[in-house]
Amino acid sequence: MKRILLGTLFTVASFNAMAQAPGGPNCGWGNLLFEGQRGTPAHFLASTTNGTSGNATFGMTSGTNGCDTSGALTYGGKSWIAMNGMIDELSEDMAKGQGEALTTYAVVLGVKPEDRAYFETVAHQHFTQIFNRPDVTAEDVHNNTLGVMKNDARLAKYSEQA
Amino acid sequence: MFKRLAWLALLACAPLYGADDATLSQLARAPYWLALGHYTPSKVHGWRSYVDDASFFLAADGAHHPERELRATLAALYAPPEQAGQHAQCRYPARARWLEAQLHLTDLPHVQCDEFTQWYKAIAPYSTVLVFPAAYLNSPSSMFGHTLLRIDQAETRTDGTALLSYAINFGAYVQGSDNSVLYAWKGLAGGYPGLFSLVPYQQKLSEYRNLENRDLWEYHLNLTPAETARMVEHVWELRQVRFDYYFFDENCSYRLLELLQIARPGLQLTEQFPLTAIPTDTVKAVQAAGLVDRTDYRPSRERELLARAAPLSTAEQRLAERLAGDTTQLHASAVQALPADRRALVEDTAYRLERYHATGQERDPLRAQRSFELLRAMNVNPPPPLQLERPDRPEDGHPSRTWSAGVGSRDGRAFGEYGLRMAYHDLADNAYGFPLGAQIEILGLKLRQYEGNRWQLQRLDLANIRSLTPRSTLLTPLSWQVGGGLERVPGRHAEPTLATHLNGGAGSSWALGGGTLAYALGTARIEHNNDFAAFASPAVGFDTGLLWRNRLGNLTAEAKGDYFANGEVRRRLALGQQWELSPNLGLRLTAARDFSHLGQARNEVMLEARWYHY
Repeated sequence: MKRILLGTLFTVASFNAMAQAPGGPNCGWGNLLFEGQRGTPAHFLASTTNGTSGNATFGMTSGTNGCDTSGALTYGGKSWIAMNGMIDELSEDMAKGQGEALTTYAVVLGVKPEDRAYFETVAHQHFTQIFNRPDVTAEDVHNNTLGVMKNDARLAKYSEQA
Repeated sequence: MFKRLAWLALLACAPLYGADDATLSQLARAPYWLALGHYTPSKVHGWRSYVDDASFFLAADGAHHPERELRATLAALYAPPEQAGQHAQCRYPARARWLEAQLHLTDLPHVQCDEFTQWYKAIAPYSTVLVFPAAYLNSPSSMFGHTLLRIDQAETRTDGTALLSYAINFGAYVQGSDNSVLYAWKGLAGGYPGLFSLVPYQQKLSEYRNLENRDLWEYHLNLTPAETARMVEHVWELRQVRFDYYFFDENCSYRLLELLQIARPGLQLTEQFPLTAIPTDTVKAVQAAGLVDRTDYRPSRERELLARAAPLSTAEQRLAERLAGDTTQLHASAVQALPADRRALVEDTAYRLERYHATGQERDPLRAQRSFELLRAMNVNPPPPLQLERPDRPEDGHPSRTWSAGVGSRDGRAFGEYGLRMAYHDLADNAYGFPLGAQIEILGLKLRQYEGNRWQLQRLDLANIRSLTPRSTLLTPLSWQVGGGLERVPGRHAEPTLATHLNGGAGSSWALGGGTLAYALGTARIEHNNDFAAFASPAVGFDTGLLWRNRLGNLTAEAKGDYFANGEVRRRLALGQQWELSPNLGLRLTAARDFSHLGQARNEVMLEARWYHY
């Protein structure tokens, strides 16, 4: 899992150099904390089609709001794509010390089940280090997390294997 | 392309590969093959496919001929493997697997399907969850709901990583240049193609929980890994394949039922929905088929915010509101003086409120800074996890269609009234599973039979929607209503006049406690009425009332008035009480007094039985 995550990070980086991220410009790591959701759906209209209104595109390869799924799949981006848009939830969970997004993050980082609760505690304690600015990006968060793990005897092993 | 066609033509002519003609004809009638092609008996004769996309079929007339399609598929499976990704074995993994098993095809050419394999591996299907985003009070049309499927991996449940799963969604494909009215109309009438899409579940979650504030219900189905896999393979075949999309019948829920029938052949779900497939009804059908293992509930962000604020005093809620707008208050004495546990609740409420207001907005650095400050404060003094009580299960609410029969008296003249409403719920209907103050009625018809066997059309509602969302200290939602159709109104004659009307209103509602809701709306109306000289007469007015959820059922009390530009003033006082006899049966007593400048005031009482049935 860890390998996939890092692998995709690199593909993202190299792809970014070519001016467009896989999965489309609004998808994936690099998103700012509190970026907000785009657009307010008109409820009635949305409900008549069960699509989201406005910019909704359907179909597996044309993707929907933000993320192009075929791109993500091509880049093996399961973990990567899932973190898209989850950074707000992750920040909230980490500040509070528990939650689904935090658990998911532990799994994505390859933390073994027996160390997950511990990881959550450490992440909670180091929240201000990991989320060190209000405009932190998902990529920063990842790097900061690795930094914190490196300095922890029990979690260091997860920050090294790549 | 020509080469491929030539191949097919060549191969389709001769009986193939040991399978004799009779076997193939028989296979083509197998329910599973018909399901794979989304065939349905044609209205004229033979078959037609719901798929409205020539590229889905290998035979030129495959949309109408399951057998020709089967033969063409079989031929294509034997095509030389050089076309790689475009090969039938790659494009139709579910068809291939089934035909291979049925016909014992041991000599199929080996084809490498990289694209499909990669896609399939990324999903890693293991189990299936039916997801139902329930109604949102401020959007009664969402009461119809929506359904999608979540495909989980083997470890999803033990790891708690549903956020990493993918969702299969069927929805209309909208290119976005149409205006709103056209958009709604085409959505209803089938003007948009429907497509399946595969999206990260997390994305769907934020769409429903954050943007639309809808609760989500997750029904874990007892499909085996093999059944789930079969379904996902078929979804690949439907990639970018266009279906017709109709809001009421050929919609998301209908298509998902078809998928479940692919997963587990022998399930008989779609045949229960010949006319309409309203998502809650389909959820009920899935429940009744014994498919559901376990049910999870995810509250919307709005519900979480209100639940977090519930234990706070009004003063504390106001403090949270101030804090959300100005985080320098974090260090003010009013906040610091609070005991640590209360402060944590206030800060959490403020954070949730701030994020609630940020929904749908562009990123604002100041707002982000405030949210960040609140998170840091909570990091030092974390609030306890939020415990939320599960609301009524939406699928246990009354079915969508309503039949009614009543007897009554209008100014001493007795009548019988008979009604049918296609969907779904009004303010007084059996309340279990529905939010108080939400109403959506689509296509309601009422006929009256007065003494002497005189029949009359009493009303025909095209739509009648009301959304009475209560205001609170933290949130100030708008209450609104809109409706249109034909109805009888008091007029010049003893006999009420049939008028065509369109009306709307907006205002506020307040929860008074004890299951009571009060509302007051300003209204506008335009009416075509033969008693009036003008073709269309406008009016403004008011609509105010009270809802009380009591032990018998819902009580409604309402006063409303319309002041027409032509001088007519029409007012109405009405009182009603529903008696919920059983989940699907109700008895309703109503009394009303109508006032009009055109004639004398009229009284009406009626006792009506309402049977909810799908």
